[in-house]
Amino acid sequence: MSALLEVREVSHRFGGLHVLKGVSFTVEAGSVTGLIGPNGAGKSTLFNIISGFLTPSVGRIVLLGEDATRLGIQHRSRMGLQRTFQTPQVFRDLTVRENLVAGCHRHGRTGVLEAFLGLPQVRREMRDAAIVADAAIERFDLGPYRDVPAGELPAGRQRMVELARAVVAEPKLLCLDEPSSGLSTAEVQILMQVLRRLNEEGMTILLVSHDMELMEITSKMHALCFGEIIASGSLDAMRASPRVREAYLGT
Amino acid sequence: MTALARSATAHLWTGMLMVAVLLVWVALPWFLSRSAIDILVFTGIYTIAGLGVSFLLGQCGIVSLAQSGFYGIGAYATAYGTTVLGLPIPVCIVLGMLVSAVIAAAVGVPVLRLSGHFLALATLALAIIAHVLFLELEWITGGTLGIGGIPRISLFGFTFATPFRFYYLVWPSAFALLLAYSLLLRSRTGIALRAMRDAPAAAAVAGIPIASLKVRIFVLSAAVGAFAGSLFAHYVSFISVDSFAIDRAIGFLLIAVLGGVRSIPGTIAGALFVTAAPNYLSRLGDIHPLLFALALIVAVIFLPGGFGGFMANLGAKLSSGGRRPSAPAGG
Repeated sequence: MSALLEVREVSHRFGGLHVLKGVSFTVEAGSVTGLIGPNGAGKSTLFNIISGFLTPSVGRIVLLGEDATRLGIQHRSRMGLQRTFQTPQVFRDLTVRENLVAGCHRHGRTGVLEAFLGLPQVRREMRDAAIVADAAIERFDLGPYRDVPAGELPAGRQRMVELARAVVAEPKLLCLDEPSSGLSTAEVQILMQVLRRLNEEGMTILLVSHDMELMEITSKMHALCFGEIIASGSLDAMRASPRVREAYLGT
Repeated sequence: MTALARSATAHLWTGMLMVAVLLVWVALPWFLSRSAIDILVFTGIYTIAGLGVSFLLGQCGIVSLAQSGFYGIGAYATAYGTTVLGLPIPVCIVLGMLVSAVIAAAVGVPVLRLSGHFLALATLALAIIAHVLFLELEWITGGTLGIGGIPRISLFGFTFATPFRFYYLVWPSAFALLLAYSLLLRSRTGIALRAMRDAPAAAAVAGIPIASLKVRIFVLSAAVGAFAGSLFAHYVSFISVDSFAIDRAIGFLLIAVLGGVRSIPGTIAGALFVTAAPNYLSRLGDIHPLLFALALIVAVIFLPGGFGGFMANLGAKLSSGGRRPSAPAGG
C-alpha cells in the first residue's frame, strides 16, 4: 500500500502555545485511519492543517506524493481531498438536492458567462450533477428531505447531508471530523455501515473522533495527546496500551 | 387533485399571467402621457443598472455603491466614442462595457477581499473617485459642461428618438437581462454563489473558487451597469457629471434593497419606486425629499424582503395552499 497522505514532523504553535509537537503519521491508500485523542490534544488543529485551513509553523503535508503544505483549500479539493466539520456546515438556504449539486462543483467546467448566456452545456452539467445528487439522496436515505432547505433538517440529517456532499465530490481521501457527535446510537450504526461501504468501494478515510465505538471500522489508529502521537496500532492494541489508557481513558 | 394536475394548472396560470403582462407591457405607452412614458423608460434603464447591484448583494453578499461609476463609464464611453471618435454606436456600447469590466476586475481583486461595512465604504470610495475623475478628465467628459449631441440609436432605419419609441428598446433589453440573471441563478454557478454565501468554508472544501467567483460577478455587474449608462446617454443625448454623483450610487443600492435582493424580477418594482416616487412627490412642493425618505422607511419596515420578497410570499400562498416555495435545482 502506498501513502495517500503523509504528515511529516508537523508542529504548530498559537503564540506561545505549542499545540502540535513534531507529529508524523501516514494514511495508506484504501485504509480507514483513525485519529483519537482527548479534548485539547490538537486533533482539530491537525485536521485544519491537513485540509488547508491552517499552515503549520513547521513540517510538511504530502498529499498524493505532492507537497501540499502551502496549497489552498480549493486546490486540495481539486486534488481529491474532502472534509466535514465538527459542527455540520450545510448550505442552510439551499435544498438538500442543491447542497449535493454544489458538492459536485469540482466536476463541472462552465462559469459565470456561460450560465449568463444560457449555453446548452450549462444545462447539461446541471443535469449530470442532478443525477449524481439524486443517487446520493437515495443512498444516504435523504429522500423525504430532497427539496427541503438543509438548515431546517435535524442535526443528524445535516451530518448525513454534509457527508453525502463530500462523497459526491468523489474524493480520494475523505476526512471526517467527529462525524458521530450529535447522532443517536441508531444513526451511528447507519453511519458506520455507510463508511464501511465507502471504504469497500475504495475510498480512503481519515476519521478524527474521540468516539471509541466508531473506531471499530478503522484498520489503523493513532492516539494524539498534548500535541504528540503517543501510540499507533490497531484498536485492540490501543485499548491494551497503558499510555493510551492513562491519557485517554483516564485509568 | 394530483400533484401533476396541480403543477399543470400552476403552469397554465403562470403562462396566462405572462401573456397578460406582455399585452399590458405592449399596450401601456399608448395610454400614457409623454412624461409617464419617460418615467417608465428611466425605470427600464435603472432596472438594468440595479440588477447588477441586487444580484451582487442578494446572492454574493457584496454591497456595491460603485455602480454609478460603471454607469458613468458606459455613458461617457458611448458619448465620447460617437461624438468625438465617430465610432458606430454598438461598438461604443461594447467598448464602455469592456472598459468597465477591465476596471472592475482590476479594483475588484483587492477590494472584494473586504467584507461588510469595509467593503461598502471601499465601493463608496470608488464611486467618489469615479465622480471626481469624470469632473477632472475634461478632455473626455467635458467636465461640468458635459457632452451634448449624442446620437440616437437606430435599428434598421428606425430611430429610437422619443420616449415612446425608446420604451420598446429599453424594456426588451431589461427583460433579456432579467432572464440572463435568472439563468445564472439557476445554474451550478448560481448554486455555488448561494452556497458560499451560506457557508464559505464548506464552499471552499467543495472546490468553489470563492475569490475569483466574486470578482467575476462584480465584473459582470459593472458591464451591465455600463450598458445601462450607454442606454441613458443615447436616450437623453446630453450627459454631464451631475448624473453620476453619489446620489445615483445610493439610488441603485435602494433599487436593490427595495426590490428585494433575493428577487430578480423585484428589481423592476424597486426601479419604478426610485424613479417614480421622487417625480410625483416633487409636485407636492419643497418637502418632497422628506416624503420620499418617509416612503422609503415605510417600505423597508413593512416589506423587509422588498417588493420581490412580498410578491414571492403572496404567490406561494396563492398557488400552493401552504406548501413552501422552493427553487428548482435543475432539470
